[in-house]
Amino acid sequence: MQLEFSPADEQFRNEVASWLRDHLCGEFAAIRGRGGPGDEHHFVDERKAWERTLAEGGWTCIGWPEQWGGRGATIEQQVIFNEEYARAGGPGRLGHIGETLTGPTLLAFGSEQQKQRYLPDIRAGQAFWCQGYSEPGAGSDLSNIKTRAEWDEQERVWRFYGQKVWTSLAHESDFIFVLARTDVSQRGHRGLSFFLVPLAQEGLEIRPITQLTGTAEFNEVFFDGACCSPEDLVGEEGDGWRVAMGLLGFERGVSTLGQQMLFQVELDEVIRLAKENGASRQPALRQRIAEAHIGLRTLRYNSLRMLSGEDDGSLSREAMIYKLAWSNWHRNLGKLAMDVLGPEAELVESAPYELNRLQSLFLFTRADTIYGGTNQIQRNLIAERALGMPREPRGDA
Amino acid sequence: MDFTFTAEQLEFRDTVAGLLKTEVTSDSIRARWSTDSGKDPALQEQLLAMGVYSLLFPESLGGLGMDAIDAVLLAEACGAVALPEPLAETMMVASPLLVDILNRGLGNGAIQPIIDGVMDGRVNVAVLHPINPYLNFAADVDWILAGSGDGLYLLPRDAVNLTPAKSLDPSRRLSSVEFDPSAEHRVAGGEVGAALLRASLNLGGLTVAAQLLGLSELLVSQSVQYTQDRNQFGRPVGANQAVKHLLADVAVQLEYARPVVARAAYTVGVSPERADFAVSHAKLAATRVAQLAARQAIQVHGAMGYTWECDVQIAAKRIWALSYEWGDEGFHKNRIHEWLLQPNALLGPEYTFGRRSLVG
Repeated sequence: MQLEFSPADEQFRNEVASWLRDHLCGEFAAIRGRGGPGDEHHFVDERKAWERTLAEGGWTCIGWPEQWGGRGATIEQQVIFNEEYARAGGPGRLGHIGETLTGPTLLAFGSEQQKQRYLPDIRAGQAFWCQGYSEPGAGSDLSNIKTRAEWDEQERVWRFYGQKVWTSLAHESDFIFVLARTDVSQRGHRGLSFFLVPLAQEGLEIRPITQLTGTAEFNEVFFDGACCSPEDLVGEEGDGWRVAMGLLGFERGVSTLGQQMLFQVELDEVIRLAKENGASRQPALRQRIAEAHIGLRTLRYNSLRMLSGEDDGSLSREAMIYKLAWSNWHRNLGKLAMDVLGPEAELVESAPYELNRLQSLFLFTRADTIYGGTNQIQRNLIAERALGMPREPRGDA
Repeated sequence: MDFTFTAEQLEFRDTVAGLLKTEVTSDSIRARWSTDSGKDPALQEQLLAMGVYSLLFPESLGGLGMDAIDAVLLAEACGAVALPEPLAETMMVASPLLVDILNRGLGNGAIQPIIDGVMDGRVNVAVLHPINPYLNFAADVDWILAGSGDGLYLLPRDAVNLTPAKSLDPSRRLSSVEFDPSAEHRVAGGEVGAALLRASLNLGGLTVAAQLLGLSELLVSQSVQYTQDRNQFGRPVGANQAVKHLLADVAVQLEYARPVVARAAYTVGVSPERADFAVSHAKLAATRVAQLAARQAIQVHGAMGYTWECDVQIAAKRIWALSYEWGDEGFHKNRIHEWLLQPNALLGPEYTFGRRSLVG
């Protein structure tokens, strides 16, 4: 056990911090701390320009191999980058799906041609991606996908029919990776394939979904004959489930520490407010503030421990439970913020529905315990896979 | 940055844990309940032979020279079998306090022979901190290190008056202890006495926290086994989500409490002056998961869960008792929010997410 970073890592940290200090200013000063959850519709063009600036400095895709423009950064360095990025008030990353999901998937499963075609633009902050997994009938039960990919022999393209939903940032993206059924005679995880599809084309419509906050971060994506070329099938036809599950394993948690630093900024605001409006003198609220503080530290220690293990890319037991832990913590913080505000919590900032930061936090955190696998699904996985409890019988529908 | 234990640390833990698993069964614990001493003398001999009682003494004194990080693993192993004997307390609280007193040149030459006696099993020492109203297994101690105000006293067994008290946990042997805080037995006072007592309180909290993790683990494994074996509606009760989720919640809190306890052990070792916060956090996190484990374990055992026959009571009752030792939830939470909400508290990512280390 060694709970300090090495001198080399500290030097890397200084390098990141000083680059961010020198570049996240001037034209980019306005986007500091912006574009996070509940705020993602703001400064989209500026944040895309920021992605290109990051790329020029060599700070996109740092975990990728050098051959593809990355730095081959160690897990520790990726953690440090994410921490310093959050500390500096770096804006919500529009490139993160391409960087952390599409890229590693293509590196693991993609053809040489796919790598050549897609990786450089992701690395350069020029191409933005979104994830086409969930459907109206395939949420927690993801393998129940109905979107079809049909081979059009005449045009020699794959054509898509169906609907994806809860597609984050589709309206700001250039490409979507789509899990679709290529063999409709098969059910469940068999007969699925994984495709790379451009969003700007005929037969594809994106409709934003307005959330509790009044803002729209995710979308419905309708496919009615939109297409991609045969070169954009990743892996073999029918191999989609394996690719899709591999992709979910790539997010090993290096961004969690940056996320936690944003949580700390939110908690500090709650504490500042509690001291200011007298809520900190109420014993019940003092206790909950103390709970929130130690809860966040607990998340941090666990993330660092999660990243301490063997770097074999496999998910450890503690990685599996991270979603359940942070989402509950964050949801409770949202409620604490409202309780510290007291009756003021009800009043919106301005018409028509402009929320202050804490109201937005409260409403947005209701999503945390649902997206990416609900808390109930997480508990099933933990009980069955970590504790080895008996599997629940499945319905036949 | 590395939160993992070394192979040697885990190997030593596994050796001791292996012995404990074999020797400390629910039958052997229940056998202790009907004896006055509540101890298994044969087990003591085996643990002594493994060097467990020499663990935290420095090599210069003939000890094994290990530290709090090694010791929390062993304390957790003690909890994982619900060991009744106060091995962890002797090893992690009494031993370091003796060394601390010796290193400060206090104790008038009485300390070295006591340390030698602890290591070869002839002498039994316990620490009575003012935060604990009762001392466990006081009847067969030879020396008591007792605090009163900011004074620390070294008392032979015959200088104290013990009044036995019955614990809710049949494995424990409690006494209230009266003594005369006289100059004759005084080892330290003032700032030094207060510092020694504070260090003991932190080590005590850490020791209990580690045992609570082990006790929680024990209840989870008993519960998982039971919910696999017990059938209703033609399938194991554990297949039901309502049952699964009770135990999944315990598993999550348990995994999340582990590095908190490890980090507290690290802080106690490298930066003891900053250990208050870390230990309070660890005690709270461990108490929380253990209380939840006790509640859910009884729930998933159904009617069996509230019988005397069911072994769940062994760990559950220990958890309820240990939750109040070395500072209850209120005490430790107060230490945290008093600090957090003071006007000049250093807050912000800059402080929580210290650049250099986790020890701050």
